[in-house]
Amino acid sequence: MEKRFMKGCEAIAEAAVRGGCRFFAGYPITPQNEIPEYLSKRLPEVGGAFVQGESEVASINMVYGAAATGTRALTSSSGPGISLKAEGISYLASAQLPAVIVNISRGGPGLGSIQPAQSDYLQATKALGHGGFRAMVFAPATLQEAVDLTYNAWEYAERDRGPVLILMDGCLGAIMEEVELPEMKELNYDNTEDWCLARVNGREDSHMITPILPELALEMLNKFKGMTYKMWEMADVKVEEYLLDDAEYVVVAYGIAARVAKEAINTLREQGHKVGMIRPITLYPFPKASLDNLDYEKVKAIIDIEMTIPAQMRDDIELQVKGRCPVHEYGRSGGILLDDDGVLEAIENIVKGGA
Amino acid sequence: MKQSFVFSGSGGQGIMSAGITLAHTAIDMGKHSTFLPEYGPEQRGGSAKCTVIISDGEIISPLPKKCDILVAMNEQAYSKFIDDVKAGGTVVVNSSRVKDTDRQDVKTISVPVDDVALELGNVKVANTVLIGVLIGATEIISREAVIASLGEKFKEKSPKIMELNVAALEKGIEFGSKA
Repeated sequence: MEKRFMKGCEAIAEAAVRGGCRFFAGYPITPQNEIPEYLSKRLPEVGGAFVQGESEVASINMVYGAAATGTRALTSSSGPGISLKAEGISYLASAQLPAVIVNISRGGPGLGSIQPAQSDYLQATKALGHGGFRAMVFAPATLQEAVDLTYNAWEYAERDRGPVLILMDGCLGAIMEEVELPEMKELNYDNTEDWCLARVNGREDSHMITPILPELALEMLNKFKGMTYKMWEMADVKVEEYLLDDAEYVVVAYGIAARVAKEAINTLREQGHKVGMIRPITLYPFPKASLDNLDYEKVKAIIDIEMTIPAQMRDDIELQVKGRCPVHEYGRSGGILLDDDGVLEAIENIVKGGA
Repeated sequence: MKQSFVFSGSGGQGIMSAGITLAHTAIDMGKHSTFLPEYGPEQRGGSAKCTVIISDGEIISPLPKKCDILVAMNEQAYSKFIDDVKAGGTVVVNSSRVKDTDRQDVKTISVPVDDVALELGNVKVANTVLIGVLIGATEIISREAVIASLGEKFKEKSPKIMELNVAALEKGIEFGSKA
């Protein structure tokens, strides 16, 4: 393991390369520009290709093309750019092509703000594109977790043939922390023939990738995908459960918000308040069981903390709480960051108010 | 022990560079550190701010509301961030540009870093003078570790640049230890 003090965007770019990424196409947007900047230098060093596309639409379709050859392909953007890529992401899902997409999110809606925000939860988890498909969504809270999740993202994308999303906010994109980098993966193209184009990687049959399927085939695909999503819920949920055993108040937060919340929880614990946290690492599949299985005899309230207003994860939380206790929310938005004092005060008000 | 620093000024004053040097040095010394930059869309002249946390233990939140030490490189930065310093904290001001300091419940260290840097021959090393002030005034990082970290940073530049930075650092330490 190699330790380095790295910026978030550069750390995930390096983790992508080490995880097998050999193609990147993207179009600039703050706050993710350090990903393409880094990869423009790094990918050629490992025999990969970097393309700055003429647009987001072109870039996502280049990723579609690269994925169709069995190459591990990546694109990255921020909210507005991900919206532009939505069509292409949906096409990747329909063509069952594996690819990894990174969203370093900023304030929204619209052009929003170039400052960090967690404003793309709903887009990421409910409709990354049209047509009703889902992508697995990873939301790391530290750079180490971001590196580890990015490194293994293609394994999920290839296993389930579809796009995987890594959702981080602009803070995590810009922050510098120490990370341990994993070894460069040995690339193995043997299994790619299940999805890649004919006559690629020595393949001789006439496999064709098409966005057009007859009705019955399309329905079969949708049924199959529906089953895959159920499997994710059973096998692939990642969640951190923090101090839940005796918790009377449970914070639900992901990514950067979870770090700020954890600091507040530690302070409140020192004062004797029984506060814990559920931190979804996969936003989709959502850690339903962690919330459903809470002891509602003990839990007095749930507090949803997100760096966006209004809270977007709340519906997913309430579906599991089923009215068994009140759900509160606290956030900042528009590019104004959460901070330790604000989050502590928000939780404190609920805990001390006995709400 | 955990301390948070805010470096603030305008784009081009070496704010980010100073923050990274501090964080990097702390890591080289076996501590934990985070560096978080915040800036607007401008490349030069816009507001620049970064937050550095140095801790013996794991750093959980990188977003403190209040800092222990504020470094203000110009008037605007001072007025914008002075209320974010904890009572009993330390404020290092670039007195070449910040004239009035008004908080009584913090320790204010005024150093004309621009003038000091100009005297040494290049205003660009003002941020290295600052790092020196921090070494002199606090014990969070050591002179030797900063020199090693600067050596790494400037290893591909001419030795003159390193010499100038070391001189700037020493000058800063002198001011910092008198404070």
